[in-house]
Formats: sequence, structure tokens, C-alpha cells
Amino acid sequence: MMTLIRRELLDNLMTFRFAVAVFIIFLLVVANTAVLIKDHERRLAGHKTEVQKSRNYMSEGKTYSVIELHVDRPPNPLSIFNTGLDKRLGNEIWVYYGHIPTLWDAEKHSSQNPFMNILSSIDIVFIFQGVLSLLALIFAYDTLAGEYERGTLRLVLTHSVSRGHILLAKYISAMVCLLVPTLMSLILALILLTTSPSFSLSMQDFLRIGGIMVASIAYLSVFYLIGMLISSMTRRTSTALMLSMFVWGFLVLVYPNMIVAVIQPSNPPEERKASAHNHIKQIWEAFERERKHYLTTDTHLEGDPYGNLPWRDGYNFEHFQDKVSVLQYYYHAGAEIDGFREARESQVLHVQDYHRFLVPLIIDAAEHTWRVRKPVLEELFVLPATIDKIWLRLSPTGIYDIATQALAGTDLNGIQDFFTAVQQYRQSVIDYYYDKKVFASREWFSFDKAAVDWRTLPQFSFQRSDISINVKRALPDLFLLLMINIVLFIGIFLVFVRREV
Amino acid sequence: MWHIAKRELSDNLNSLRFALATVLLLGLMLTNAVVHLREHPERVQQYRERVSGHQNHIAAHASNGLYDLAQEGPGYLYKKPSNLRFCAEGSETFMSDRAQAGYHRWSTDTLKSFWILAYPSATPNRDNVRPEVTKVDWGFIIGYVLSLVALLFTFDSISGERERGTLRLTLSNAIPRHTVLIGKFLGAFISVSIPFILGVLVNLLVISTSSDVHLDAEAWGRLGIIFFIAVLYTCLFLALGMLVSARVQRSAVSLVVLLLVWVVFVVFMPSTLASIAGRSTSSGPTYDFSERSWKLHEELSSDYYANYDEGPEGSTKRIEIDGAYVTKDAEQQEQLHEERLNRRIAEVHRARAITRLSPVTIVQNLIESFAGTGFERHLQFLENVKTYAREFRTFIVDTDNADPESLHIFGVRTGMSQEPVSPEAVPKFEDTLNLSKDFNTAATELLLLTLFVLVLLSGAYLAFVRVEV
Repeated sequence: MMTLIRRELLDNLMTFRFAVAVFIIFLLVVANTAVLIKDHERRLAGHKTEVQKSRNYMSEGKTYSVIELHVDRPPNPLSIFNTGLDKRLGNEIWVYYGHIPTLWDAEKHSSQNPFMNILSSIDIVFIFQGVLSLLALIFAYDTLAGEYERGTLRLVLTHSVSRGHILLAKYISAMVCLLVPTLMSLILALILLTTSPSFSLSMQDFLRIGGIMVASIAYLSVFYLIGMLISSMTRRTSTALMLSMFVWGFLVLVYPNMIVAVIQPSNPPEERKASAHNHIKQIWEAFERERKHYLTTDTHLEGDPYGNLPWRDGYNFEHFQDKVSVLQYYYHAGAEIDGFREARESQVLHVQDYHRFLVPLIIDAAEHTWRVRKPVLEELFVLPATIDKIWLRLSPTGIYDIATQALAGTDLNGIQDFFTAVQQYRQSVIDYYYDKKVFASREWFSFDKAAVDWRTLPQFSFQRSDISINVKRALPDLFLLLMINIVLFIGIFLVFVRREV
Repeated sequence: MWHIAKRELSDNLNSLRFALATVLLLGLMLTNAVVHLREHPERVQQYRERVSGHQNHIAAHASNGLYDLAQEGPGYLYKKPSNLRFCAEGSETFMSDRAQAGYHRWSTDTLKSFWILAYPSATPNRDNVRPEVTKVDWGFIIGYVLSLVALLFTFDSISGERERGTLRLTLSNAIPRHTVLIGKFLGAFISVSIPFILGVLVNLLVISTSSDVHLDAEAWGRLGIIFFIAVLYTCLFLALGMLVSARVQRSAVSLVVLLLVWVVFVVFMPSTLASIAGRSTSSGPTYDFSERSWKLHEELSSDYYANYDEGPEGSTKRIEIDGAYVTKDAEQQEQLHEERLNRRIAEVHRARAITRLSPVTIVQNLIESFAGTGFERHLQFLENVKTYAREFRTFIVDTDNADPESLHIFGVRTGMSQEPVSPEAVPKFEDTLNLSKDFNTAATELLLLTLFVLVLLSGAYLAFVRVEV
């Protein structure tokens, strides 16, 4: 057994293709890592300026009602390995008490050039997807067919070696040959990452990268076994090679792209969207009626809360935000008023009462809207993505991509984690407002007596989910890759054992 | 020569790779046609609805008088979907499908800001959380699959014959080497073309028989050019395959080299170059757009309020001051938006110049520009929008000049003509595609591609002439 492995190993190591494999993987991984690190640094810098800007913006706000809290999504350092949705989806969101923020309300930084998205992006998993699978097939296509052609297979089998052992020896030695460049390039990439000052990788991140390595090895092995299966079934190496190349083209290049284009969400989403939009609109119409009712019953306000307040300077606004495509609908109002011309404090008290009544009503309507909006958003956006993923899993490339995305935390779940944190942040801000009775305060709409002190406001913080959660999300796909490995190996064994030499 | 080509052809036609290539290309082309037939009618329908919405918008404001029309502007202007979108998807989902000709910023008790031309950056792709994939369009099929097929057909054309010893036999006859090479090239070319042409025919058959998609004469002309580009691109990879095959002793080595060259140049070069390009361009100044816009407006409005008391309420002087304020503001802001747009376009141009090193990017850019999608087409759309904006403004001025009772002061209701405007007379926006413009932008890329082909062909020739049998 050991002699077999040693012989195979030497055979593989001395070949031209091994040299080329090492060279290509090194070149691609190192060059791209360097580029990706720079890219990540730029994104991080963008994130930092946005955070700084939002601080400045906050310090300029003088009343509670005009301020929307700005939250910026930091780039995920592991997006170097698999970008996933990290770059594509919105990274800037405004938290407003009257609207529950979701991924679909987020915007992109305005400083970024939107046209740059037309250029395709790359990550390390993408390189592995293409190159590792191709190299595995190039190593595998002649393992059995080649020996058969040269007649050496017959020679080997005349000795008292079991066929299973031969297969195992071939598998192990080729995998060792393929793993050397893979792991070395990954380690080089890691060295580049750790020497870059903008990356601070925690222990958990290293574990995640370890998980990505495991997935890469499993993926490599799947393609090696596919090549071996083809090689064991064909008599000539050239046939094996042709078949392998077309299988590669289909599984890696064609299938993942084709399947997503072919699948269409089954139910007509437009109607669903329209009815939900109507429902939400009704909620806000009811709210508006109640608001109008309050304004007409309070005789001091006469229909306009600020109308009877003769003020010197400032502004107020009020409008309904309506964006049908993502079911965004809410009432937005605020005022920033500086001092009143004559002291009509009783009038101010009435305005305060109005807000004490109104803001809880807005929050209530927002919760109500969320109950309608959430399932529709799931159905419109998340469900098609889930169905796509199921179909993508028919190709090992798809499984590998999904598994590494889950490990890196750049999949939909990872992004949603962030927005869940934003929703919790909104809730904590509202609780804080209730605690301090901010709604009924004068600072809600006017800063003539005192400007708002923003320092005591809850701060937003976001921790990426724990490694155990990431692993749990990736585990089914890793398991699937493993299963495919085992099934393929059994298949090869059965074919090879029955084969006549 | 023809004899050699015929022999090669019959060799190839019986091979496994021919069957597999035919199946693969046919399947892809069919998928492409089916997806296009499913998606295109929706797109056209949506565009029609939007255009009629635009016309209703204009009609509604025209009936309110000239001031309203001049203040509101023509509203959203939409990009017309290309009926050749199945040839190249062209990252259309990453670009805005509209321009905003009516962007309101402020209003006071008496005045309202005038419309300006703004370029929204929201793209149809932002809300999409589906996995990111390359669209299966002609660009993908030609750029990736056809080039791979071309390599698989040529990797053993010379080294394989040498291995079997038949090359020696052929050359022992009184045939010059270049004739052998050309014969082989033609044979391989025809055998790659057959599956491709089959695929194209099936694709076009499915698309043109459907009643939802209309391809006019111009579209067929464009398709012809795209087909020609595909042929040129196939030649490039055939020549590359021959070159390597002539230089290398064994066909297995030849294939390994070719595949790795292919992977590097076709799969990774475009993305890597794009990353490098994206990095190098965004290092420019990133001052805050909204802050600058706000500052400009603040300066102007403080000037305005400083002169506020010069004209008493209702006097002509006052109307003049008001009108100057509003028009100047609109002018400044529109210029700001345009500057930003131009800067962004320049960045993309620089980035795209770098990515042109990869042949697949060249071919995809070419197909995009002839299919009427992609970035060049977006620029054409923006050009159309600007032309229309000028036309619309000229119309407002002319209509106002035609009214003798008007004060001819723009920006204020009382300064402008009070006559009703007939909605039919207002110019409507119609987005058009222009082939001659495409040709200008595509010429460089076409020449570059031809250059690549010629270099590789002569390389293959030299390599084969010097080969020892």
C-alpha cells in the first residue's frame, strides 16, 4: 500500500501539470489577495468616513423629531474569501422611529460610483471554484484510463494487490499533490492578510477560514473523484479528457448560471405586492384620520400643529414616504423651531400634547405595517433566493459557494443579522425615548429652551454572529459535499472492480 | 488544401467532442431564447406603461399652464429596452433605467425650485438577494463556452498527429506546410462553426417565431455583425490552440497549457483587472456631493435675501429678482449633477480601458454595443436625455415668447405666460438606438480583436513552419 502511494506520488510530482498547477494557483491567489486587500481597505475607509459624517450630522441636529439615526454596515473582512452579498446590498440605513428598517430600506454610500458595479468582482472562493476543479480533473483523467492504455494496470494487478487499495493509493497521492499548492496559497493569502494593518482577524475568524479550507478540500476531492469515475469508465485517455472537460464546463460554467436564469418564482408577485401595498396604505389612512381627528378636536391647534405658533426661525416638514417596489410606506414629520415671537406657552403645551398623542400612534402603525410587510418581503425576495439555492445545490460548485458564504457570514443570513441588530437598536432608542418622555418634551420640535444632548442616546453596536451559528448554517452543505464524495468513491470502486483489464 | 480541410472535418464530425459541443451549445442557445421570450414582453410592456405615464404627466402639467410645466419638468425619462438583449445582458441591472427630469429641492411660500436633470443611481439590482450569476446571453456563450470548445477542437491538431506519426506522412507529400496549416485551421473552424451556427439558428428561430418579439431589418443587421464578431473571436482561440499545439510535443501537455491559459485569460483576467481598475480610479477626491449642493444653494439664497427688499411685493423688479434666483439655482444644481455624472463616467472609461487586455472583455463589450445594451448604450441614452432637456426648455422659451402679454421672466408664475398650453405641442421623450454611433465606439475594440487574431495566426504559422517532425 505504501509503495503504491509513494510510486503514484512520485509520478504526479514530477509531471509538468504539477508545476503548472502550483504556479497558476500561486499566481492567481496571491495577486488577487493583494488586490482584494486594497479593495477592502478602501471599503473600510469609506465606512469610517460615513460613521464620522453621521456623528457630525448628529451634533448638528437640534431637535429629536428631525434627527434620523444613521447606521453604517461595516464591510466583512472575510468577504475576501467569498464576497457573497456583502458588497452588493445596501450598507447605509437611517433609523427612524416610525419605520422598521430592513435590508430593503438600506442605501448605498453616495460617494461610491454606482457604475463601477458593471465590472465583475472576484474573490478567493471564485478562483478555487474554477481552478481547483479544473486541476483536479486534469490530474484525474488519466489515472485509470492511462494505465490501462499503457498496459501497466495489468502489470500492477498481477501482483497480489487488491483493487480497492490501488484506488485508495491513487486517490491519496493525487489529493496530496493537489493540496500542496492549495494550502500553501491559502497560507500565503493569510500571511498577506495578517500583515495588512487594516485587518484585525479574531480567533473566530481564523476558525471560519479553517472551515473554508475544509470546504475547499471537500470540493477539490469531489472533482478529483468525478475525474476518476470518468477515467474508470472509459478505455482511452483522450475520451476521458474530453468527457472531463465537458463535465467541467457544464458543472462549473454553465449549470450555475443557467439554472438561475431558468427558474422563475411561481406565483405572480406583482399582485401580492399590490394587495399588501393597499393594506399598508389603509393602515396609514386610518392613522391619518385619527391624527386629523385629534387636530380638529383640539381647538387650539386648528388643524395645523405649528400654524398657531408664531415662530421666528426654523422649518418643519411632513410627508408620506411611498416606495411601492419594496413596500416602503410611512409618515415622516419633524420640526426644528427656534424661539417663538411672543411667549404663548399655553400654545406650546398643546403642541407637546399633540406629540404625546401622535408619536405612539406612529410607532403603533409602524408595528402594524411591519406585520403586513414582513411576510410579503420574505415571499418576494427571500423565497426566490431560497429556491435558487436549492437548485444550485445540484452542482458541487453551487454547494461549495453556498457553504463558504455561510461560513464567511456574507450570505443572506449574515446580512440579515446586521439588520436584525438595527431593528433592535431602533427598539432600544424608542425605549429610551419613552423612558425620558421625549415625545412630550419641548425639545421634540423646538430648541429655544435647550438643545438635545445626544450623548446619552443608546449607541449602535454590531457583532457578527458567533462561529457556531455560521458552522450550523454551513453544516448541511458541508455534509452534502461529503456525501457526494462517499457516493462517488463507492461508484468508482464498483465500476473499477467489475472492469476487465 | 481543401482535401486536408475535408479530412479534418470528417475526423472531427465523428468525434465525441463534436457531439458534446453540439449538445452544450444547442442547450444554451435554447435556454437563452426561452428566457428572453419570457422576460422581454414584460420589459416592453413596462416600458410602454412608463412612456404613457410620462406623456400623461406632461399633459397634466400642460393643462395647468406654462409655469407649471416649466417648474415641474417632464418627469422621469425611461430607457428603451433593446430587443437584442438576449445577445448581451450588458450589466443592465446595475445601471439605472431612467433619468429624472424633475427633481424638487425646496419651496417657499411664493417660490418653487425649478426642475433639473438628475441621474438616480438606484439600480434594479439593489433589492435582489438572489445568488449572483452571469446571465446566459450570447456574450457568455461566445465568450466562455465557444472559446473553450474552440480550444478543445485544436489542442491536438498538430501535436496529436505528431504523436501518432501521421504528420510526418502528410508532410512527406509535396504539400507546403502553410497549406497543411490552413487546411487544418479551416477544418477546425468549420467543425466549431457547425454547432455554433446550429445553436444560433435554433435560438433565432425560437425568438423570431414568437409574436411578442419583433426583430426589424436593423436588428438583423446587428445580429450579423455580432455573428461576425463571434467568428473572429473563435478564430482567435483556434489560432491560439494551433500555436500551442505546434510548440508542444505531447497533446496532453498542450491541453493543460491551453486550459490554464484559457482560465487565466478568460475567467480571471476580466475580474482581476476590474478589481485593479476599480481600485486605481476611486482614489480621486470624494467630497460630499450633497454638502456641496447645499452650500451652493445657501450662498445663493443668502444673496437673494440680501437683495430681498430692493423690489417691493408685486413689482416687476421683485419678479426679476425672484426669477433670477430660481433659474440660477436650477442652473447651478444641474451643473453639479452633470459634473458628478461626468466624473463617474470618466472613471468607468478608465477602468474599462484597463480591462480591455482580456479578449473576452473585448468581445463582450463589442457584443454589448451592437446589441444596444451595456455602458455605451447607457451613455447614448444619457445623451438623448440631454438633447430632450434642451428641446423641452427651448419649447418653454418659445411658447413664452409667442405670448405678447408675458413679462418673459422665468422662474416666477406671474412673470410667465398665462396662456393655456396645448399638451400635443409639448415635445415628448423618445429614446432611440443609433447604429452609426455604436460603430464609432466599437471600432477600437474591433481593431484590437483583429490585431490579436493576426498576431496569434502568424505565431501559429511560424511555430508550425519551424516544427521538427
